[in-house]
Amino acid sequence: MWKNLCSLFKKDCRMMVSGKFFLMSSGFLVLYTLYVNFGYIKFMDAQLYNVYLYDPAKTQTTVSTLVQRVSSKEALDTILLDDTNGVGIDASAGEPQLVFYEGTEQTDCHRIDYALSLLQPPGNCNAEVIGSNTPEQKARKEITCELLFFEIAAAGFLGIAAVLFKEKGMGVIRVHAILPLRKNLFILSKLAIFLLSDLVFAILLTVLNVGLLDTASILPEVLIQTALLSLIMSLAGLICALLLKDFRQFTSAYLLIAIFVATPVFLSANTAVKLDWIYFHPFYHIYMGLKNAYFGTPMNSPAYYLGCLTAIAVLFAGVQHVFCKEMRKEG
Amino acid sequence: MIEVKDLTFSYGKDKQALHGLDFTVEDGEIFGFLGPNGSGKSTTQKILTGILKGHGGKASLFGQDISAAHTQKFFQKIGVLFEFPYLYANLSAVDNLKYFSSFYPKEQIRSIEEVLNELEFKQDFLKKPVSSYSKGMRQRISMARALISNPKLLFLDEPTSGLDPSGAVLFRKIIEKERKKGTTVFLTTHNMLDADLLCDRVAFIADGEIKALDTPKHLKERNSNRRIVIDYLYQGRREEKTIEAPELEIGIPFAHDEIISIHSQEPTLEDMFIKYTGRGLS
Repeated sequence: MWKNLCSLFKKDCRMMVSGKFFLMSSGFLVLYTLYVNFGYIKFMDAQLYNVYLYDPAKTQTTVSTLVQRVSSKEALDTILLDDTNGVGIDASAGEPQLVFYEGTEQTDCHRIDYALSLLQPPGNCNAEVIGSNTPEQKARKEITCELLFFEIAAAGFLGIAAVLFKEKGMGVIRVHAILPLRKNLFILSKLAIFLLSDLVFAILLTVLNVGLLDTASILPEVLIQTALLSLIMSLAGLICALLLKDFRQFTSAYLLIAIFVATPVFLSANTAVKLDWIYFHPFYHIYMGLKNAYFGTPMNSPAYYLGCLTAIAVLFAGVQHVFCKEMRKEG
Repeated sequence: MIEVKDLTFSYGKDKQALHGLDFTVEDGEIFGFLGPNGSGKSTTQKILTGILKGHGGKASLFGQDISAAHTQKFFQKIGVLFEFPYLYANLSAVDNLKYFSSFYPKEQIRSIEEVLNELEFKQDFLKKPVSSYSKGMRQRISMARALISNPKLLFLDEPTSGLDPSGAVLFRKIIEKERKKGTTVFLTTHNMLDADLLCDRVAFIADGEIKALDTPKHLKERNSNRRIVIDYLYQGRREEKTIEAPELEIGIPFAHDEIISIHSQEPTLEDMFIKYTGRGLS
């Protein structure tokens, strides 16, 4: 059995190399790392709104360094004309008067509070700090988690289809029907290679973007969650690739999955959008499992793991069924 | 080797593909299974090779009922050449054969070089990917895949399809050689010449039923009108005469100067197929 699995595994590796799967994954890894380190972190660190102050008499004594002073009322108007999101403070009459171009009501309230807070002395706000992550670490973990989820659910899923459609097109799946091997090994070998490749991707992405020290403490739980997601997506990809006629049909089906699976999950988990039914969405729990793993707060119940394992078992049975159907097909 | 009794199979409620087939294939025999598209040839082969389940009636292979026979040991004993050359296009001939042969016990496998030499495969293509091969070359590699495990029972589906005449002759020689080794061959084909030249017995199948089963020779003899056409020269003129075969026992029964040709009016296997099934093979 091991000899057969080894032969299948070696062949699958060659198929993936020739399908440029590893090259594509490496490319994504580089792209994500560059985005996180040179784009996302800098973007998250940027100020929300520029605040400009006209205070000829220097009436404001505790002005933050984030505030930019202007020399005249005309200069304040001109600069706001260029930076329409900016907030101007005219303190020429002693009392600060806010000047800005109107946006939405909620945003405007936020802009007012933010601008006025910059005139307060530092340490005036005594909010309790929860958790040990610095804002940068938090941002890094959040985006790494999102990218990993996206990579496995999207890019990996498409990769499986690309490899399997090749084998389907060549008709070689049918040859395996008459080979002296357990037919399940064909599926197991594919799962093993995609699982390994996803785990390696998860390790590298986490080390490169979260940092070696933090990775060491969260890695085991991250790998468990990655493995669960990887197995579910690989099996779902195998079913779709075996059932659907060609890659074009597959990509159309994938777009539907991406819209209905990924969008509500990302919206609910990362924004203020509240969807009451999201708790019934299986991928929400998987995404939250991964996110909790990144923040070192695994809170998954045994029911979650049981649900994942049941899903894997059901999907595996489904793959077996469609695989046998494919083997019976005429040329 | 193969024993089939009242074999039935249905793809759905109203799609009965086989209506009770009966036949046996002896050890070391080349058995031809001839029928038009959709006649039930492939279905029968798929049931025998364990790809299709849920048949009715009885079928046994190697003396064992097929429902119990389809084990890994069984698959080690059979070789299958599919109608189309199913190969990994990104791998070379050698890599394809290495991969497919890796599932068989080492002591059973023939050397890749030996099989490819037997199939007269072009040496300079050995390491090139299959995607660069012609149809004939792919068919040779598929045949090599079927032969590499030294099977005791070979299922061949249109073995000479896609081959040039010399390739077809070579394949027929190889099939003959396999028979001499004691391999049983179950040959599914449209090609009447292959069936006539190779098969010990043939079965004509149409609409899921076997319409006739015998040796090609008997099938033709049984339906022969036993007439002979003689082309000859007499007094400088070319003439043609048809006589009954027994008339030849006393020699040429008419005056002639020179015999140009003698043709028996024996029907071809294709004529027999049309007679028994009521249609052609295309």
